Amino acid sequence: MNASNIRIRGVGAVSSAGWSAAATHQAVLAGTPLPSSPCARPGDVRSWPCESRFAPASPPEKITRHPRLRRSSAITRYSVAAALEALADAGYDPAAPPPGLGILYIMMNGCVNYTGRFYHEVLENPAQASPLIFPETVFNAPASHVASFLGVDGAVSTLVGSPNSIMEALDTAAYWISSGIVEECLLIAGEECDWLSAEALTYYHPKLIASEGAGALLLSASGNGPRVSEIIGPLAYLSWQERCELLPELAAQTLARLQGPATLINDRTGITKLDHAEAAAWAGQPWTSVLSPKYVLGESMGASTALQLVLGTLTVRQTQQPVVLSIPGANTAAYACVLTP
Amino acid sequence: MGRLANEQSLAADRTAFKPVELFDTSQLIAKTAGVVDLPTENLFHRIPLHKQTYIDRGTRMLLIAIREALAQAGRQNMEGIDAIVIGSSAGAMPLGEAYFEHAHQDAGRVPSQLSRAEHYQPQRQMTSVATEFDWRGPIIIVSNACASGANAIGWGADMIRSGRAKRVLAGGYDALARLVFAGFDTLHALAPSGIPRPFDAQRDGLALGEGAGVMLLEAEDVRQSPVLGYVSGYSTATDLHHLTQPDPAGKAAIRTMTAACAQSGITPAQIGYINSHGTGTPFNDAAEAAAIAAWAGDAVAGIPVSSTKSAMGHLLGGAGAVEAVICLMALQGQWLPASLNVREPDPAVRFDLVRHFRRASLDYALTNSFGFGGTNATLVLQRRSA
Repeated sequence: MNASNIRIRGVGAVSSAGWSAAATHQAVLAGTPLPSSPCARPGDVRSWPCESRFAPASPPEKITRHPRLRRSSAITRYSVAAALEALADAGYDPAAPPPGLGILYIMMNGCVNYTGRFYHEVLENPAQASPLIFPETVFNAPASHVASFLGVDGAVSTLVGSPNSIMEALDTAAYWISSGIVEECLLIAGEECDWLSAEALTYYHPKLIASEGAGALLLSASGNGPRVSEIIGPLAYLSWQERCELLPELAAQTLARLQGPATLINDRTGITKLDHAEAAAWAGQPWTSVLSPKYVLGESMGASTALQLVLGTLTVRQTQQPVVLSIPGANTAAYACVLTP
Repeated sequence: MGRLANEQSLAADRTAFKPVELFDTSQLIAKTAGVVDLPTENLFHRIPLHKQTYIDRGTRMLLIAIREALAQAGRQNMEGIDAIVIGSSAGAMPLGEAYFEHAHQDAGRVPSQLSRAEHYQPQRQMTSVATEFDWRGPIIIVSNACASGANAIGWGADMIRSGRAKRVLAGGYDALARLVFAGFDTLHALAPSGIPRPFDAQRDGLALGEGAGVMLLEAEDVRQSPVLGYVSGYSTATDLHHLTQPDPAGKAAIRTMTAACAQSGITPAQIGYINSHGTGTPFNDAAEAAAIAAWAGDAVAGIPVSSTKSAMGHLLGGAGAVEAVICLMALQGQWLPASLNVREPDPAVRFDLVRHFRRASLDYALTNSFGFGGTNATLVLQRRSA
């Protein structure tokens, strides 16, 4: 994989820390887990603890109006806000996005709020289930809404998978740009949290805290911004044990390509059982600093690697030093990448 | 099941619709679909039996298609394959449905919910397929609604064209799922009669189907398998008209057909067959007919067009892949599958609507896929000796 010709010209984010990349960055730099609260279960009292960190309510200036957004759920609103911030960050007027823009969208769970609501209606009485909701359950609905909002009528694609699918999307964005399919590309990853996904995480580990949000990056072959100088991987695995065994190799390959001081942005949750292999793989390196977004923000699933990339971009801008992203994934492959000024 | 059986069925102008028994349809308008008869034997030999409960119906179809594609390429395994790119619209939705139902019925911790949550994820389903071949590599899942399968094949072809891969297994799948079936039913998109009539003047909706289609794509410089054909053109674009309805003029479709043919280096007149998106809904078929007419210009009357959804239903994320495979079969066999059940063609039809299976001479076939969200994709397939 090679995206070294690509610059990250602009970034945007919505997370449990707030509706901007800066708010997310500040929270992660502070390093203290954000407050969580019990995730409400409709009509019932849960018999075990299940915490979540939702994104705060949208500030007035982030509320967008468009016919397509009237019914859209949280994941689309987060994605639009992150995309607009990324465009503005790159110096574009968000009201007049650049021509030749493409969109690659990444998600894991997708439009869970409407999916749960629609399926509940189907179980109750399918003859009265809402035809307005069903189209909003489709995985590519958020990408379609963002494209409609921005007037992007070219290449727009959605990938579903582990959060680190964004690395495959990055590879494809570099191809789209270099081959002239698009001039620039918005890479967006989003996720919305509901009681079902919050509960699902507790089955993986009782202390996992579900979160939500979106990260967006405007990629270009020209202009200023950090460069994705190295992508290491995919190192594919078929089990958690294989994943643990591969991570030292991932770290070794990455460190071999790194010169000088750097910041590490890892995937750690703060739960030793889940983190130990990653922690061991990257230990012993004199990092300038180590950031753990998931520990602070919560598990935002499909959005999490995008948030790492957003934070990496801001860190490179701030430190003018390389940033290493550790992206071990959960069930398919591990990646790492190096961002440089 | 399989290429030969599908060819025989298409040659006989047979349809595959029957009552859906996978879930309750009693309160729905539509009650039939193109249902696949899956073999009852164990398909996954490397997955423990207790885990096989969580392998989705669609994944089973996909494994069957992958095995057939590999066998046709003379392969026993996936060694040397650089990536899997698969399109799916619903993924393992039935696992998500089961997770929801258990969670909804019981506020306590429910046994096996972890397995349901885990296997609901399509990439986890694909890991089961990879395990079956002891294969490790990147798994890319494209989910652009009903264009997913075509986009996945185009994505894989792009990986090879750009030198990022030498061999890619690409395709798409979707199985029937209660949520999706009910969703199309609420939209009144399903034909109440259960008989889809793409391009018929009085068509009243689509029929859903299920299935999987896969191609092994190889770069010419490393080719080990016999050539069945070429993916010579691919383009994708976005229709911004509406979340679920196409632009009546089919502007995005015109752009994808134009760009895919340009990449192939051919004109519309050289297209020997179009496997249309052709769902059988009033809006889609009118828009696609208008787009084909505008794109083909004076050549339109000579271009044979059909919709194989009339025979097997709309396979959603699998549609583009299966229809691309059908194009490849048509190029190999020099025949054209039919648009079945047409009584009186829609006045918008200006092309040569293929109403019965027939022999033909063709070098290039084009297939359109349009999805919710406005994703349009066109693939151009080229005959081996063209």
